[in-house]
Amino acid sequence: MSESLTHIGLEQLDDLALGSVFLATGGGGDPYVPKLITAEAIKQFGPVPLLDPKDVADDAFIVPVGSVGAPTVSLELLPSVEDAAKTLIAFEKFIGKTIDAVASFEIGGGNSVIPICAAAAKGLPVIDGDGMGRALPEAQMMSYPIGGVKPTPALAYDYAGNQATFETDTTETYERHIRAFSMAAGGMITAAEHAMTGRQLKDTVIPGTVSFSIKMGELLREKRGQADTLLKPLQDLFATSIYGQCKLLYTGKVIDKSTRIIGGYDIGEATIADFDGQSENMSVNIKNEYLLAKIGDRVAASVPDLITIVDFETGTPINAERLRFGHRVAVFATGCPDFYRSETAMKVVAPRCFGFDIDYVPVEDL
Amino acid sequence: MRIGIDVGGTHTDAVILEGDKVIAATKALTSADVISGVTDALDVILKDGGVSQDTIQTVMIGTTQFTNAIVQRRELSEMAAVRIGLPSGKGMPPMVDWPADMKDAIGAHIYELHGGYLYDGFALAELRQDEIDELIKDLIKHKIKNVAIASAFSPMNAEPEQVVGAAIKKAIPDARITLSHNFGRLGLMERENAAIMNTTLLPFAEKVVSSFLGALKNRGLTCPAYISQNDGTLMSSDFVQAYPALTFASGPTNSLRGAYKLTGLSDAIVVDIGGTTSDIGVLQGGFPRESNVIVDIGGIRTNFRMPDILAIGLGGGSIVSDDGRTIGPQSVGHKLVTEGIVFGGDTLTTTDIIVAAGQEDIGDRSRVSDLPQETITNAKATMRRMLDQNIDMMKPGGRDIPVILVGGGAVLVTDGLSAASILHRPENAGVANAIGAAIAQVGGEAEKMVSYKAMPREDAIAEITRAATKRAVSAGADGSTVRAVDIEETQIPYMDDGATRVRVKVIGELAT
Repeated sequence: MSESLTHIGLEQLDDLALGSVFLATGGGGDPYVPKLITAEAIKQFGPVPLLDPKDVADDAFIVPVGSVGAPTVSLELLPSVEDAAKTLIAFEKFIGKTIDAVASFEIGGGNSVIPICAAAAKGLPVIDGDGMGRALPEAQMMSYPIGGVKPTPALAYDYAGNQATFETDTTETYERHIRAFSMAAGGMITAAEHAMTGRQLKDTVIPGTVSFSIKMGELLREKRGQADTLLKPLQDLFATSIYGQCKLLYTGKVIDKSTRIIGGYDIGEATIADFDGQSENMSVNIKNEYLLAKIGDRVAASVPDLITIVDFETGTPINAERLRFGHRVAVFATGCPDFYRSETAMKVVAPRCFGFDIDYVPVEDL
Repeated sequence: MRIGIDVGGTHTDAVILEGDKVIAATKALTSADVISGVTDALDVILKDGGVSQDTIQTVMIGTTQFTNAIVQRRELSEMAAVRIGLPSGKGMPPMVDWPADMKDAIGAHIYELHGGYLYDGFALAELRQDEIDELIKDLIKHKIKNVAIASAFSPMNAEPEQVVGAAIKKAIPDARITLSHNFGRLGLMERENAAIMNTTLLPFAEKVVSSFLGALKNRGLTCPAYISQNDGTLMSSDFVQAYPALTFASGPTNSLRGAYKLTGLSDAIVVDIGGTTSDIGVLQGGFPRESNVIVDIGGIRTNFRMPDILAIGLGGGSIVSDDGRTIGPQSVGHKLVTEGIVFGGDTLTTTDIIVAAGQEDIGDRSRVSDLPQETITNAKATMRRMLDQNIDMMKPGGRDIPVILVGGGAVLVTDGLSAASILHRPENAGVANAIGAAIAQVGGEAEKMVSYKAMPREDAIAEITRAATKRAVSAGADGSTVRAVDIEETQIPYMDDGATRVRVKVIGELAT
């Protein structure tokens, strides 16, 4: 892409969704159904203007919107095209303010496209950026609350138009409450939360991730092929981005994978053996996302840096639920945006926040 | 004695089995009208086996007719798709992601009604009588007789589908109706797609079944006839008239089941090497391991019970390039007999390599006598590597496991395979599909999302097993022989710790 993208149309959606799976680092949910409703919204209402956070007025009113719930439930409880836009309308009514633009919770997985669906139907621009730069399991790990944006007032909207509003102290409490509401409302709802000013957005957003995810999808589609031939193009793409260095950590075959659900999360470990049996095995710890990669006892990459596992033959990113014994894979690690390396961010996303007793070392220093 | 017939796209295979023994077998080309190919195959095996018609107890037929009808968009009937799930899914109607030519081919009329359930059994919305009345009025107006009905969470509570189905049947007595919960699995769009494909095939299914039965009757076979399903079990001919879509992918399943019968190995990898691909599947307890991913049929996403097959571009007609370092995925396919070098052509194929290596004597061997030794060595190493790596991917849990080679291309494997603990090349491997059809049993499956907090695990499994057994018996099984062969429990992320998706599969002997 030589010139910068001004709108998201149908022709960008497949690449955006594919790129979002790479950035989802194994989690984030399958973007298939969210992509479908977004495509329907764009067909009906037209392409959505993409807004660079730099160009947002300081006093603009920005609202992140997305789905909250259990992806398995949405297999039966299908979203409606206008749910996300109606969530915004209800939110405007609730707080008595007009929204100027919408933003994404997380670029990894299905919530990469829901804001675009909302923006199309509501006739608003969407921010080129998100609150994670990847996928992470809990709301308090978003850059917005880390940067001081309050989670509430917030509004959740279910499939039938039933609503709940929230007023909580912290994002941790909000996360518990909205999950409870989501379960009561059939397991999947749309939420508008962490509303903020343009100024706050500029201070907290992980910028450029929507257009970056499209470029990532384009790269994966055009260079589809053996993972080792992807390294150079990936490095070139990441070199000019907000992300850090990209490394090919390991190539090999999955020789063990075990996960189980603990406290609502898919927790487990995958073991990968080197193709030529020359090196020690790699282990990858999973909590919805790939969080820690080790070669033998040596840490090769850890959260908040991005660990992505792709199919070795095609370079297609593989979701943690889909990873299985025998898969021939390549493991990439990429430095996270600087925002997540700050002291404040480390309080919620350091390896210890996920139960790993190690200090965070940036992937480029490992 | 039993007769097994497999009607594939290219070949029609038939066998007579007496217990485990193959009495007669034939492999013929599939005829354009299908039926004359079947009667010809019957004539050959009955004559070769010297068997009289009245000693045949059952005939089992495997067919790709219905899959091909969907893929080629032919023999499809006009129909209506009814979704019960409003107010959810507005703007996401049935068939929203279908290829346009398929939508056109079935002239689908789409209706969306309020109703359905949530994951925990709470009503998503109440059914509305005025919507049902309106639907029926419109069906009558458009003279639509084929109707697919799908409601949210119907595998857990099928009442909305049953209520609407019964109302249509009452108003239109000759309507053909498919209720999606009979396809079991969770995933509304995929289950609905299965119901729609099934419905559009219903009139064709009546035609196919009556012509199969006609062919058998013609040859004096009056015994019961069954059609094999995609999970290696059987349907009665009445059942297949109601569920033709359950035959999708029965070909690879029959090949796996046939390999099991030919070797007696209930846990093994089966490699079916054809002209263009090698299809690698896994036998677990004598049945194919099923795929858990979305299966695409004719460009449509479904969640059918399908065997987990890894197809790689290596077959007897695969093109060898780069001095043997690259093989396939391009293949000369059925043109091997004219384009392969040993057959007088000029395309270097894997078959030429094996002949040049002196391991098979096919065609004119002198035509490959000057092939560089390096190319032969490389090509053999490449083939072996492709098979070893891909077999490894399919191995359950990394254990050592035997490998069974079937299919016409099995000659490509000249030495061992390091991925195999033992390599088997059974006799009659060429008609494994027909043998697989002949030994099929009757199965049933049920699935529910349950909370082990609300219902103890044993009770939940027992209840779901009963539902699966009921399905097996209605498909023709002898209830006293039905047993659970697979219980799958999947915990659900972001839900209560006890929330689990449970799937039970049962099989039994044919009721006689």
